[in-house]
Amino acid sequence: MGQAIVYGVISLIICVVYFTLVDHYMMDMQGLDYWYLFRK
Amino acid sequence: MGLTTPKKVFSIMALCAMVSLLLLPVVMSLPSLAIGADAPDAVKKEGEAKVEKGRDVYYKTEGIVVGAPAPKTTDGPKDYPRYNFESRVLLWFANQQHLYYGSFVLAVPIFCMIIEFMGVVTKDKALAKRYDQLAYDFIKISLTAYSLTAILGGILIFTFLTLYPAFFGYLSSIFRPVMHIYALMFVAESGTLYIYYYGWDKMKEGFLKWIHLSMSVVLNIIGTLLMFLANSWIGFMMSPAGVDEQGRFLGNIWHVIHTALWNPLNVHRILGNMAFGGGVVAAYAAYRFLASKTEEDRAHYDWMGYIAMAIGVAFLIPLPFAGYWLMREVYAYRQQMGITLMGGLLAWLFIIQATMIGILFLSSNYYLWQALGRMRGAEKYQRYIKYLVFLLVCGFLVFITPHTIVMSPAELKAMGGQQHPVLGNYGVMSAKNGGINVIITTTVLSFIWYMRGNKVSTVSWSKFGNIFMGVFFACAYVNIIWLAIYGYYIPANVRVGLSVPQVATTLSCLFFMTALNAFMMKGAKQMGPIEWGKISARSQYALIMLATAFTWMMGLMGYIRSSVRLFWHVNEIMRDNSPWAYTHTVGFAANMISFNVLFFWVSILFVFWLGSLGMKKAPVEAKAGVPGGAPQPAGSH
Repeated sequence: MGQAIVYGVISLIICVVYFTLVDHYMMDMQGLDYWYLFRK
Repeated sequence: MGLTTPKKVFSIMALCAMVSLLLLPVVMSLPSLAIGADAPDAVKKEGEAKVEKGRDVYYKTEGIVVGAPAPKTTDGPKDYPRYNFESRVLLWFANQQHLYYGSFVLAVPIFCMIIEFMGVVTKDKALAKRYDQLAYDFIKISLTAYSLTAILGGILIFTFLTLYPAFFGYLSSIFRPVMHIYALMFVAESGTLYIYYYGWDKMKEGFLKWIHLSMSVVLNIIGTLLMFLANSWIGFMMSPAGVDEQGRFLGNIWHVIHTALWNPLNVHRILGNMAFGGGVVAAYAAYRFLASKTEEDRAHYDWMGYIAMAIGVAFLIPLPFAGYWLMREVYAYRQQMGITLMGGLLAWLFIIQATMIGILFLSSNYYLWQALGRMRGAEKYQRYIKYLVFLLVCGFLVFITPHTIVMSPAELKAMGGQQHPVLGNYGVMSAKNGGINVIITTTVLSFIWYMRGNKVSTVSWSKFGNIFMGVFFACAYVNIIWLAIYGYYIPANVRVGLSVPQVATTLSCLFFMTALNAFMMKGAKQMGPIEWGKISARSQYALIMLATAFTWMMGLMGYIRSSVRLFWHVNEIMRDNSPWAYTHTVGFAANMISFNVLFFWVSILFVFWLGSLGMKKAPVEAKAGVPGGAPQPAGSH
């Protein structure tokens, strides 16, 4: 069980980082700001 | 060896002849391509004073006028001769039927190429033989349909010549430099197809098989080029280029072909044809499955239906993205055209289209869930299907929600405005992009479940792999929905870009998770064989539903694409002055599309029946590849 939690946490970190990078760079590629709302 | 050498030489010669046929139109076109250079020279010789220059309506380059202006038609028997019937409807029917069959005969050889290649590279001899037989069955169906396509093409040309002579004359004059290329390509396609089909048995092993496979590559290149040429005509009608504002040809045929919408149309049509072809072949297999009298036949057609459906859906998944690109280019070309399509006159047809897309994905998923039933060990997934249904239905309902509804003044007043206070929020692109991406991601998940249905991974890191896959999909759903919601809080010019990371998220699931699953399932333990033929009849009706929905959607999208020109034969260049230059009601269009779909299916059933006559006469050895009562091609998926 403990091992599954560790695997889950590692997976979650990888996925969150990956999708954040996808969102950021896919918008950046179009000359748009993904963080628009948060920078305002 | 001595016996096979002449065969090899002959087959290489045949392949070279095909490649030459492929190149012939290009060689033939060289003088034509040079028309742009020669013709002005000719004009120059006659005297500099006669040279008249025009400005390209799209490329904005200057060119020497070498063509006549677009005719200004008037409503009468000269420009629009007619029977006692609406000419546009007759042309619509002829065009649609030709397109259905054309798509089918272009898609099926691509299938054959893929399946034949799978047969060649598969190490399992029995399975390789089955793939080969399957590819042969496919091409046999397409051969009968090919004749019908040619006949329908002839009918279409005669319909044009009879009912729209002025318009057809103008279009022919513009495309004259490549008209003969089209005809030659058609000859090359026919020749290659017949050699490919009739050479099947003679070239079934070793080096000759590779030559045969190469022929299918040549066949498909020819077919694809044919389609590209045909697409250039509709591209020109929607977004003309290479002519001046009076419609006079400026000598550069490449500009005429390479219009703003040509490439998006090419990509969209290739994917669409493949998905449609997969649907039709899957429906054929379903029909044969339901009519089968023996377990052996049922197993064979179950397998055939699965392969066709898998190929069809593989091309269906990227289709919405290609459609999105096309629409984006339409907006970039003429914003008004985009608004007419998606926010104006034709917007309601897009709601119907969304419904059809939803039906396609729901049918595909339903088939996959039913197919889990033919695998021992797949029961573990059954209890989770309800969650997938929930996701699909939510995505579907958001996807089909209209922005505004047609209402009476009383209803409008009761609702407090054009938009419903709650549901109105879902009728915008931000929500719809979220909806369709959830649907596609769920379809990918269903596919992965199916692929691992009867297997248990034996790799040492399988526990981490499974958890990672689960978390990846969960995060993908969260990201898609988050981006959809985020879109409501940022300005429109930033919001439009959010569709790209949404698509990237879906594609990440498709590529990374399919690859990860394949690695995990390498050398996996099988819980039991796939029992081909042991599938519910309902699943086969889902395949028929899939094919019908494809056919209907193709008809619908063709109508939308054509209608967006409104009262123009060639957008902003040649006006349609016939009495039918108006947009039909949604109801009439839907009835017309349904009639076309019905006619196509009745006629293709006739083609299937003809194909089945041929199969009865097939030599017994043709069935030798189907082992036992219920063949189990391990790892066929």
